[in-house]
Amino acid sequence: MRKFFSQMTLPSKLSAVWVAFICLLALFGWLLPLPDPREFDIDAPGVGLFSPGHLLGTDAGGYDLLSNIVYGARTSLMIAFISVGLGGIIGSAIGIISAYRRGRLDYLVSTGFNILLSIPNLVLGLALVAVLATSTDGAVQIPPSRRIIIIIFSLTIVIIPILGRIARGATLTWANREFVVAARSMGMRDRDIVFRHVVPNVLPAIYAILFLAVGVVIVAEGALSLLGVGVVDGVSWGAMIARVAGEFTYAPQSMYVPVTVLALTVISLNQLGDYLRGRLDLREGKI
Amino acid sequence: MQLLVVIVGATFFTSLLLQLLPVGLEELYVFAFDEAGRQEQIRLLHLDANPVMFYLYWLWDFIRGDFGSYVYPTGVLDPVAPRLGDALPVSLRLVVYVQIVALFASVPLGIFTAYRSGRRSDKAISYGLFTAASIPNFVFALVMASFFGATLAWFPPLGYTPPGENFVEHLRGMVLPVAALAIPTIATYTRLLRTDVIAALREDYVTMAVSKGLSNRRILFTHVLRPSSVTLFTSAALNMGGLIGGTLVIEQIFTIPGLGSEIGLAIFSRQYFALQSYIAIIAVGYVVFNGIVDVAVGFVDPRSRERTRA
Repeated sequence: MRKFFSQMTLPSKLSAVWVAFICLLALFGWLLPLPDPREFDIDAPGVGLFSPGHLLGTDAGGYDLLSNIVYGARTSLMIAFISVGLGGIIGSAIGIISAYRRGRLDYLVSTGFNILLSIPNLVLGLALVAVLATSTDGAVQIPPSRRIIIIIFSLTIVIIPILGRIARGATLTWANREFVVAARSMGMRDRDIVFRHVVPNVLPAIYAILFLAVGVVIVAEGALSLLGVGVVDGVSWGAMIARVAGEFTYAPQSMYVPVTVLALTVISLNQLGDYLRGRLDLREGKI
Repeated sequence: MQLLVVIVGATFFTSLLLQLLPVGLEELYVFAFDEAGRQEQIRLLHLDANPVMFYLYWLWDFIRGDFGSYVYPTGVLDPVAPRLGDALPVSLRLVVYVQIVALFASVPLGIFTAYRSGRRSDKAISYGLFTAASIPNFVFALVMASFFGATLAWFPPLGYTPPGENFVEHLRGMVLPVAALAIPTIATYTRLLRTDVIAALREDYVTMAVSKGLSNRRILFTHVLRPSSVTLFTSAALNMGGLIGGTLVIEQIFTIPGLGSEIGLAIFSRQYFALQSYIAIIAVGYVVFNGIVDVAVGFVDPRSRERTRA
């Protein structure tokens, strides 16, 4: 692990440190002596950076920005990790099985993927969240916790065809390699071939994409919030950004802070994904 | 054929979305108090049909240019088509501006970085581009609207002027939204083009052209850029999906009355018949656009036709 880290390029090191930092904040941020993210400080609305008691200042409503970033990281990262994890597992399973089996199943699966991919992914996510988050009573919004579950579910559906198609493509190239054919001709069971020979080779291609996918989902959460269907009255980076959109003159830090944190996180994730992909390609090239 | 399957599948999927609603459509859209009136409204909106028939009714209307209606509690139907007629051109114009700006900016940038590949200027630009490609467009939009729009007041931070009304104002208002969408797009295109041009510069036919004494410009444009333009076309097509999604968000931020704002309004006022049609239009447009690009690429690069047939 340490060796792996010391071999990394400088930007990748910085990215790894930043992502680790954000993850730690999300996991252990509640231990920090921070004000409640949902409680406003009536004496200090819209104060700037480094104000007493508010390290990153407050927004126009007096909500502490640092505390919202820390607790928002938990929501945003939870949405991202769960939906990418679920979508990755389901998508790769479908992709690997269909590419290994070929035939009619593969046709059905790839058509299904193409159909889902024919709707731009943000539009698909937006449509799913909008429909599923309709409250039975028009006057009452559904609670943030249920909204988060709906967002996770919708983004999982968005992720499935993206990763599924990559897994399918990778499997197609590996499933015809000599060692797979040899294993099959030796009478190895399909299930064992898939788990012993196909999956270990397909996984590296997916690992690198997972980082990019987490970035995509974090951005999507922000975009959904801006479109009015995100974690509206909850605590998330998207919610922070959506609250200040259209309000530029008063307390500008309430926009710059969440936007910077989100951008840095996405840049870092992309950098890590890109680095990982480069390394994996290299290894493949050496063989 | 595959194209048709995908279009039917995608539109059927949008139609199925209405069945996923946690609230019954009747509860949302049937308002009459007497039983006869209820039955009349249910029949009118095809709410009694099964999902397949419901889709076919919708499809038949959709093909004839009837994109459903807003249903008001008074039972009044407000057709979506005129709204769409106003909103769609606004969004399309935005997307076209972005693609034009992105293509025009990325060609010289891509050639320049490829030409100087490995040197410091290329490395600096390439890192900058990688970073720019990772930053979500709404971040650019908010930062630029705040800085160039509100603080410096160079451009209007919000709002939209139709081109027919005042063309100069229209362009001024489009600068920030187009820039917000174009910067990540330029970065993506340039990176792809750079890789392509570097590969092309190593080809034997380029060495041949150089040794024949052709001018640099001639080599770049006829021998290097022509094959690379295929990459540009396909990446423009691939990027279209992200761009459409981005347009929706950017329209919300800059309050541009395009499709994004219409979709926002439809969701906010729980008009799911309208939402269904909007999403179907986006999907159909996206699929058709990709189909056209595939054909166009086939014209520019005959090799790709062989590949798709094989």
